[in-house]
Amino acid sequence: MQGPLIESLARRGISRRNFSKYCATLASMMALPPLAGHAMEKALAATPAPSRRPSVIWLPFQECTGCTESITRSHSPTLESLIFESISLDYQETLMAAAGHQAEEALHAAMKANAGKYLVIVDGSIPLGLDGAYSCIGGRSNVDTLKEVAKDAAAIIAMGSCSAYGGLPKAHPNPTGAVAVSDIIKDKPIVNIPGCPPIPVVMTGVLAHFLTFGTLPELDQHGRPKSFYGETIHDRCYRRPFYDQGKFAKTFDDEGARNGWCLFELGCKGPVTYNSCATIKWNAGTSWPVESGHGCLGCSEPDFWDGGGFYRALSAPANPMQKISVALGAGAVVGLAAAAINRTKKSAAKTGHETTTLEDLEKSK
Amino acid sequence: MKLEAIPVVAVIAGEPPAGLSGNAPVLLREISARVCRLADAGETSAIDLLAMPLTASDLEWLREQLGTGEIVITLDADGESFLTETSFPGVWWVMHHNPKGGVLSAFIEIAPVPELAKAHKDDVRGGLERLQQLIFDLS
Repeated sequence: MQGPLIESLARRGISRRNFSKYCATLASMMALPPLAGHAMEKALAATPAPSRRPSVIWLPFQECTGCTESITRSHSPTLESLIFESISLDYQETLMAAAGHQAEEALHAAMKANAGKYLVIVDGSIPLGLDGAYSCIGGRSNVDTLKEVAKDAAAIIAMGSCSAYGGLPKAHPNPTGAVAVSDIIKDKPIVNIPGCPPIPVVMTGVLAHFLTFGTLPELDQHGRPKSFYGETIHDRCYRRPFYDQGKFAKTFDDEGARNGWCLFELGCKGPVTYNSCATIKWNAGTSWPVESGHGCLGCSEPDFWDGGGFYRALSAPANPMQKISVALGAGAVVGLAAAAINRTKKSAAKTGHETTTLEDLEKSK
Repeated sequence: MKLEAIPVVAVIAGEPPAGLSGNAPVLLREISARVCRLADAGETSAIDLLAMPLTASDLEWLREQLGTGEIVITLDADGESFLTETSFPGVWWVMHHNPKGGVLSAFIEIAPVPELAKAHKDDVRGGLERLQQLIFDLS
């Protein structure tokens, strides 16, 4: 494995073995077989040092900044710094030192100098209501900014469910007219990296792919990289054996829940959600929602906020948003039955519950 | 003839202890097949443990079953990595940690020696140059 990258790594005190370890881990995270890790190692190490690093422009729109937070909370400096040292992040409002006019100038200078070659990362949805007035930066609506910056971009990466699908702002009743990037830009390659927020290494994995191979990774029908969104949570869930054996937790903190049984009946959306949380996990591999005892929210799927309820099982009918014309009598009967069921559920939950006192908590210390 | 008259008794093994999913013993067969390929054709391979539907108890059980051999290699590269020979020669348990101690990746490597332990020929050449320089400086 010769090549400037391996040499520049050595100069920074990152040994070949360190790099091998990183590639093996990255391949594992991308759900690739160990042999692919060797191949990635060869390819990345052979990457010639570019005279000018690829330019990346980050546009934040109607977002909560969770996606930026997610990517900066990387656990291993080597994994992420390898990416951020290999690109030129020319515009990022949270991280850049400049502000005001200087910031705007930096944006336009980067666009001009790298026309046709820069990558655009977008987080946040784009509101179209009131001609886009619901979200403006420096007096310009987000939709105008997006159209202008996208014109000479090489590709757009829609980071997070808001830019990929519309996200929370798009949830019923969508007061700002929020839409996804792909609803506005039709003539550029778009990679969707959904999740609320997305797992950080997915972001860097896509950038690594672009830097190594000069192309975007293979995408599914929703524009998501197949290597991270190719399998459902359910397919990689460690609690799958319990699902297969029919062992479900009925309420939070009941005996089944304490034994780590499947959370399907508590509303887990794992079977219909494509993401890597079950394998890569969160916070340096510490845990992920199901491992912590809470069902998957389905945050990397379109319109998950309007999915019918985080605590309703997938098998339960769930469309309170649709207008269904039901006879008043039938409606009353259903209402009474539901109330009775809920009462029995509640009393069952009460009897199944164990109260934890402060002494219990102190004891477990 | 009644079923009870047949002198065969089926013994049901019973449910595995709490925490075990039942997937770990299957992996032992996979390892066995790969060790066979190593012995017959010298073919090395690796299994990504974190890509398998195994619980923490499964991994513990597997580690216990595989046992420990004579060699433990500690690699210090942006967090520690441990390459431990199991009680079966040629089967290595490889664990990669980040500087905080969290697990980055875990593999079972089937090879005479894990790939990471080997010195790359470019590194050997680079080291040779430094060694010759050291000899020159000392003389």
